[in-house]
Amino acid sequence: MKPILAVDHITKRFGGLVAVNDVSFDLQEGEILGLIGPNGAGKTTLVSLISGTIAPSTGKVVFQGAPIAHLPAFRRSRLGIGRTFQLMKPFLGLNVLDNVAVGALFGTGGGRSQLHRARDEAAYWLEFVGLDHRAQQRADELGGPDRKRLELAKALAMNPRLLLLDEVMAGLHHGEIDEVVTVIQKLRSRGISVLLIEHVMKAIQSLSDRVLVLHHGNKIAEGPPQAVLSDPRVVDAYLGSRHK
Amino acid sequence: MKRAIAWLALSATVVMLPLVPWIAPPALIQFGTTTLLIATLAQAWNIIGGYTGYASFGNSVFYGIGGYGTAIAMVQFDLPFGVGILLGGALAVLFALLLGLPVLRLRGHYFAIATLALAEAMAGVVSNLDIAGRNIGLILPLRKDDVLFYELSLALVALATLIVYWISRSRFGFGLIAIREDEDAAAVMGVNTTLFKSLAFMLAGFLSALAGGVHAYWITFIDPVSAFDITLNVMMIIMAIFGGAGTVLGPLVGAVLLASISEVLATEISAMASLFFGLVIVVAVIFMPRGLADLARRFRSLGWRYFRENLRLHRL
Amino acid sequence: MSLFLQIIANGILLGGLYALMALGLALVWGVLNIVNLAHGAFIMLGAYVAFYLFTLLHLDPFAALPLCMASLFVFGYCLQRYVLNLIVRAPMFNTLLITFGFDVVLTYLAQITFSADFRVVNPSYAGANFTLFGVTLPLVRVLAFAMALALTLAVWLILARTPVGRAVRACAQNLLAARLYGVDPRTVYGLTFGLGAALAGAAGDLYAVVSQINPYIGDPLTAKSFAISIIGGLENPLGVVVGGLFLGILESLTSLYVGSTYTDVVSFGVLVLVLIARPQGLLGKTT
Repeated sequence: MKPILAVDHITKRFGGLVAVNDVSFDLQEGEILGLIGPNGAGKTTLVSLISGTIAPSTGKVVFQGAPIAHLPAFRRSRLGIGRTFQLMKPFLGLNVLDNVAVGALFGTGGGRSQLHRARDEAAYWLEFVGLDHRAQQRADELGGPDRKRLELAKALAMNPRLLLLDEVMAGLHHGEIDEVVTVIQKLRSRGISVLLIEHVMKAIQSLSDRVLVLHHGNKIAEGPPQAVLSDPRVVDAYLGSRHK
Repeated sequence: MKRAIAWLALSATVVMLPLVPWIAPPALIQFGTTTLLIATLAQAWNIIGGYTGYASFGNSVFYGIGGYGTAIAMVQFDLPFGVGILLGGALAVLFALLLGLPVLRLRGHYFAIATLALAEAMAGVVSNLDIAGRNIGLILPLRKDDVLFYELSLALVALATLIVYWISRSRFGFGLIAIREDEDAAAVMGVNTTLFKSLAFMLAGFLSALAGGVHAYWITFIDPVSAFDITLNVMMIIMAIFGGAGTVLGPLVGAVLLASISEVLATEISAMASLFFGLVIVVAVIFMPRGLADLARRFRSLGWRYFRENLRLHRL
Repeated sequence: MSLFLQIIANGILLGGLYALMALGLALVWGVLNIVNLAHGAFIMLGAYVAFYLFTLLHLDPFAALPLCMASLFVFGYCLQRYVLNLIVRAPMFNTLLITFGFDVVLTYLAQITFSADFRVVNPSYAGANFTLFGVTLPLVRVLAFAMALALTLAVWLILARTPVGRAVRACAQNLLAARLYGVDPRTVYGLTFGLGAALAGAAGDLYAVVSQINPYIGDPLTAKSFAISIIGGLENPLGVVVGGLFLGILESLTSLYVGSTYTDVVSFGVLVLVLIARPQGLLGKTT
């Protein structure tokens, strides 16, 4: 079975600093791949390389069988790669509904051309993430957890085949985390593949089919969650993690 | 009920405006024409500065190109005004495309400075061209018909406003707003930022050029200093912002209000107007940086504290 | 060949003065993150102060330097302390807009007060020059060049070595930390902006001696100062010397080989090109 995403020996240098060093991995269609590692390990950089926000120094990115490393970010979005940002970037001047409508307007395959259809679709996704009661509020009035829901809805409205989630659960309490886990499982049942950056280990354990570990830009482990999380190298990297 | 009244007022204004020349004295018609032209510039700026968030400090360059395109076409090539003004517009679009591509990659104040420098440079370039009459400029064929130019200017500002209205309700406009709010996020969400920015810039350039062409033909004269007048930028920006950048009617309100007040205060138009607008900028930026639209919205809940709030947020 | 050397020499002399012009802008921009579109207007005001001191009080322009600097320092300090401070924490665009407003107001106030006529400051020694290696160097230009470089070095020393300079640099790095160390940012901001204005005033004084002045010289000089600041990078005050010399020589060459009416176009053109090609400047670091 061909992977939906193949990252091949990708490296990113910022001047003298090597943020991502010769990382390769595959993501199978319908799979949830967890990406973990201590802060500064290069996880967000890796995701940015896949989404097209930054370009690699060397290496290839292949999506649905086609190389995309030379494509700008907006083209990759239209091919079906969606992503959320760790530092959330809502469109503050717009209301919640319109924030998501942007995704529906410009998503996979060029999105919808009609504003009201895009808004209808946006309303659907708002309900999916549980944010429909705030549709008319300005984005800058939302609190942290709601902003995360908005971020997710925006990505979903683009109809992605591959979703790159960057710490969507940071700062949420247990109940909220469970809600997000449920949403992500619903996504998988729709055939959406997910790359999930997280520090919340229980979510990684319950969701991931496989886990990838980055440390100082290098891949140091890859495999099923249980195996990876008990790997001594991984534990070392986290400097005495509580998840031994 | 309030909306009905607003619509009625708007419709009445729209119907009344073309009829003004038949009931107003000549001085008022001329004031009207000047105001409508600068309102067009403000509305054009609104597209690139208000909706897209790329605050150009040099849109006067398009005004000048439009004026010179028209003048050169009519004076050097004996072409009719209609052709001339379209040529001016086309030149401006070309300029916006070619120079926009590198310059639109700059963000924030770098973009502002670059556009300002472009505008200043163009004045220098044109003053060295023989076909443009060098420093002396060109004298256009005389067409003494203030009413015609009034109606033309009215049509222009109507066109500009309709375009902005369309933008506010279209996919294109949403893309521009997304770019303004967060360009990286917009790109990740599928907006072709380079294309959209360039289109917005070209659109703003085209409209500004048309205004420049009408103005040149109206006053039958063009020279580098007046065509590329930097203070035009001051005026169009402050009018758009004062009235409310990123709204459909904001720049119009701002233009009419500020032009009227300036006219009432001024004895000697050119010098005093600039002084007035400079002062308005300073005061407005301090007390109401988001314009009348925002002021109107928040004044109901905050009252006079609105001004204090702006101070509190931004002072050192 | 000697013509070429002459052109280069002219460019160098001009460049030193340009460096001083840019220094005030670069300082305020680098330290306070204030982009002052009225910088050229400050230079213009300094030039007029020198002109009137010379015409009315027969004060030699070089002797008038301290007065020019002092008067513009006070002006700049007050403008910052009582007006600009009100919007320092607003988006950068507001600063651009408000200084744009200052520029317009100052230019037209100058036009009304001083009239649009060209003026020049002509001390008795204005025609004197001396020859060096076959190159004619006008005395006033050499003196202006020397003064400009001296002031630039002095500013660099102040910033790098004195407690006041340290306070200024501290504020630039981290406002909160500076506050915690007892530095009052409003005063520091006022002093820095005042210093920038004073430098502009000095540059204006010297400019009035080597060139004609009128109320409209501000905008091209602002553009040149920007170009120089960006070329030299905002990290190091001495970078403006590199930028200034570069632009001075470029203008001089343009004047000879293309035409003297193109010099302003070249300045603006260089600014645009530098912005597009290398916003961090020739000497700046790539992020």
